[in-house]
Order: sequence, then structure tokens, then C-alpha cells
Amino acid sequence: MAFVATLVASHLTRRFDARVAVDDVSFELAAGEIFALLGPNGAGKTTTLRMLAGLIRPSAGAVRVNGRIGLLTEAPGLWDRLTVERNLLVYARLHGLPNPARAVDETLALFDIADRKHDRAAQLSKGLKQRVALARALLHRPDIVLLDEPTSGLDPESARAVRELILRLREERRAVLISTHNLDEVARVADRVAVLSARLVALDTPAALRARLFGSRLLVTLAGDAARFVDLLRTTAADVRANGCTLSIGVADVERTAPAVVRTLVGAGADVVSVVAEQAPLEDVYLRLLQRDAR
Amino acid sequence: MKRIAALLDKELADLRGNPAVFVPAIITGIISIVMPFVVAIVVPYISGERLSDSSDFRIAAEMYRSQPASRNLDPEGAIQAMIFQQFLILLVLTPVAGAMSVAAYAVVGEKQARTLEPLLATPITTFELLAAKVLGALVPGVVLVALCFTLYVGGVIAFAHPGVYRTLFFSRALLTMFLLGPLAALAALQMAVCVSSRVNDARSAQQIGALIILPISILLVAQFTNNVDLTSRVILLISGGLALLNLVLMAIAINLFDRESILTRWK
Repeated sequence: MAFVATLVASHLTRRFDARVAVDDVSFELAAGEIFALLGPNGAGKTTTLRMLAGLIRPSAGAVRVNGRIGLLTEAPGLWDRLTVERNLLVYARLHGLPNPARAVDETLALFDIADRKHDRAAQLSKGLKQRVALARALLHRPDIVLLDEPTSGLDPESARAVRELILRLREERRAVLISTHNLDEVARVADRVAVLSARLVALDTPAALRARLFGSRLLVTLAGDAARFVDLLRTTAADVRANGCTLSIGVADVERTAPAVVRTLVGAGADVVSVVAEQAPLEDVYLRLLQRDAR
Repeated sequence: MKRIAALLDKELADLRGNPAVFVPAIITGIISIVMPFVVAIVVPYISGERLSDSSDFRIAAEMYRSQPASRNLDPEGAIQAMIFQQFLILLVLTPVAGAMSVAAYAVVGEKQARTLEPLLATPITTFELLAAKVLGALVPGVVLVALCFTLYVGGVIAFAHPGVYRTLFFSRALLTMFLLGPLAALAALQMAVCVSSRVNDARSAQQIGALIILPISILLVAQFTNNVDLTSRVILLISGGLALLNLVLMAIAINLFDRESILTRWK
């Protein structure tokens, strides 16, 4: 499917007095894509999100948006003394929705929180508050959803529920941008990752970033000693190591090389038990990118 | 207007969930109601001395009896009418006392509760946001004044000389209660909201907004000392001035409300 940008950030820069919080950051976001903005505290993630949402002006650069934006702020920001329903109703009216009450009911049902609509926000757990805040961000059916630390501080069950909601947004062809430093979350949901440290350190798919920094490796487990196949495989791949029954093979492209490796091994009489692509943890990728940037 | 109404509904619902915020206003209202009754009814009853026998009130009584509203009252009734009318201005303080903490908390409170950022991400304009905030503080205060005025009139009917209550329904009294009072309160609340937009602490806004009590107190003293005769014309003039002041204050409030600073520099 062709990449059609719904949000374009061009050379975004934001200074606060002498400090440059965001420095010449450019990227595009497409419909149906989950884009993660990774970075340590103070890297400019929230500032970038605020510029994208139009809450603060960039010092330089521009944001082009094709569609409505929904923003989930870092804190749920619910009015504690108001009920869940009333919290959402105020926002439905502020967005000028034609039938606010119906929009709220539909959204509550969609997020599976209709049974809590008469509860005061103060009575909700942190996970439920986050779900209500997400419902609020999506009330007006935005095409672009900006999520600032959506699972921060949530227990694993609540975090999973929020992740499932995020994945559902992709199915609905919305463009989703997540600002986070939760690498596990990024690995689970993101199509592309931008690593930010005031400026853009890297931008690619998680797999491409891994490959760029650590290369890709195939792990082939055989029924028997693997060492005798090392020389044979060196005709296909330069970097081949054996360890007991396992061969570790450095490859440029896992999907293209794996069938050829298996064919070669089987042709030479090897009994192949399993073939897996070895992936460096995203954490290693992220830390190495930041270390490189710091140098 | 729809967005102002939406946010105003929220403000009022929020206040209904926190009625304790009106305790200072209720106390101010009670004191404002009780004080003139103590002066005009209780003290003469306990001392056994009629107000009209006191030389302190004689000149004032003659002056009041010359006014159409008090013409048919006996000397004691005329003095009571004067006292009840002059103390009316104290009731004007009631909405200010009630709403000041609400207004002072308006912006800084939203920021502290971290509810401001999602609000600013909606299409709401600064004018709409501030108007809803000011009205959210003013409306309950004005309702409270109406209640206090009703109690005040009820008390005058029950305890004062017959006919005294009628003097409270002449234009001067009604203009004081329902025009001068709300406009003064609006000015105070706008000042509080202005300050609330610039400080990190609601208490600062509360203290500065409370300065509005000073001119009202000066008016009260000036009335008692006969330096100012708050005729309907004077009240209308002051109200006109306050209306202008409110327009200026709204323009200042909009200018002072710097979304970027509030979001990025306040912690």
C-alpha cells in the first residue's frame, strides 16, 4: 500500500530561551501506521507532541496535518469530582459534536467502560482513568492520534488493555504516534521508530534498526554436530559460527537467505531441527543509538 | 457560546461536588444580614432606647424622611430604613467572598490538577475558556446574593417597623444589589482569573483579587459619613465605570493568558 502522509513534521525546532528542546526534527506519519517516538527523559518527546497538536508553536519548521488530531496527555487529566460520563460530555460539547450524549455513549461502549459511566473519575483505578482519557482523546473520531506515555505507570493487565486499544486504532486506519520510553511496548506495537535526543538520532522500522546496528543472524539448530557444515556455508555467508548443534550465520537479509541456507544444509545431509532469526533486543538497539549520538 | 456553556456546566457541576468552597461566602452573607438587625433591632431592644431618641440618628432620620421611599414612615421606621439600606452594600461583598477562591483556583487549579492540557487541545478559545471560568465563579455568587437578599427582606418584614421593607424595593437598593454588586464581583473575579493565569499558586490570586473589598468598604464608610450619597444616578455611573473596567480586564486577561508558558514553564 502506498505511503500517504496524514501528518508531516518538517524541520521542527523548539527553543526555550537558550536551550534547544527539539532540534530540526522531520518525519511523516501515514494512516494505519503506529509510529513510536523513543527517547530518554528530556529528549523533547512531549514538546514534539505539543507542537504536533498545536499546543505550542515551533521556533522553526512546520507541521502539516491532514485530518483531526486527538491527544492523550501524559496525565489522564480527568476532573475528579465529575462522573466519567460528564467528563466526556464536556469534551464532546467542546468539540462541537452534533449529538454529544450519543457520541459519549458510543465511545464508552467502544472502550468497554459503559458500566462505569456514573462513577466519579476519582473512584477509578489508574488503568481505568487512562482508558477514559484515551476514550476522551478519540471522542471526536480523530484521524491522527497522539499518545504521550500511554502505558506509563500502569499494571501489566491495564497496559495490555491500552496496547490492544492502540492496535485497534491501526486497524481503523488511524495514524498513531506514541511518545514513550517503554521499549517493550514499542517492540510490540510500532511499525516505525524514531529515536529522539533533541534531534532525530534514527528513524526506521524496528527490524531495520536492529539490522543496521547489529546485523541479522540466522540460528539453525541441527540434529548433531554443526561444526562440519561451517565451511560449506561459508560459500553462502561470510560470517558462520558453530556452537554444538547450533549454527549462527550472519546474513544481510534473513528472508532471502534462510531458504538457501536450509537447502544447502539439507543437500549436504544435515537434519535441520529449527531455523530462527536472531533479534537483538530493542533495548540494545536504543542504547547503542544513544551512545553513538553522545559521542 | 456553546463551548462557554459546556465549560460553564462543568464548572458548576464541579462546584456542586465541592460545596465547602462556599462556606466563606455563606459566613459573609450571614454576617452581612445579621449586622444591621443587631444595630437597628437588637441593640435598641436590649438598651430600651429607641433609635429616634438618639441625637446621632436625628439628622439622618430627617434626611431619609424627605425621600419618597421613606416619607410615610414614622421616625423610628425611617432610621431603620436608613440602616437597612446602607448595610445593603455589605451584601455586595457576598459573591466576592464566595467566588474569590473559585476564581483564584480557575487556571492554576486546572494546571495543578493536570486537566488544563487536554482542555487546551480542544478548539476552545482563550476568551471562551476565561469567560466560562469567570461565569462559573460569578453565577453561584449572584444566586447566593439573591438568597441573602430574600432572607434580608424577610427579616425586615418580620422584625422592622411596618413599611420599612418597601424601601428595599426602590431602584437604589435594587440597583445596588443586582447591578453594582454583580459588576463589582465580576471585576474582582476577572482580576483573580488574570492573576491565576500568571502565578503558580492559587493563594496569590486569592490575595490580589481580594483587594476589590477595599473600594466597597470605602463606599460603605463614605455613605455612613455622608460623604457620598449613593443615589440611583451615582450607582448607575459607578456601574457604567465598572462595566468598562470589566471589558478592559477581559482584554487584559486574554493577553495575560499565555498558553505556551502555562504548559511549558509551570511545574
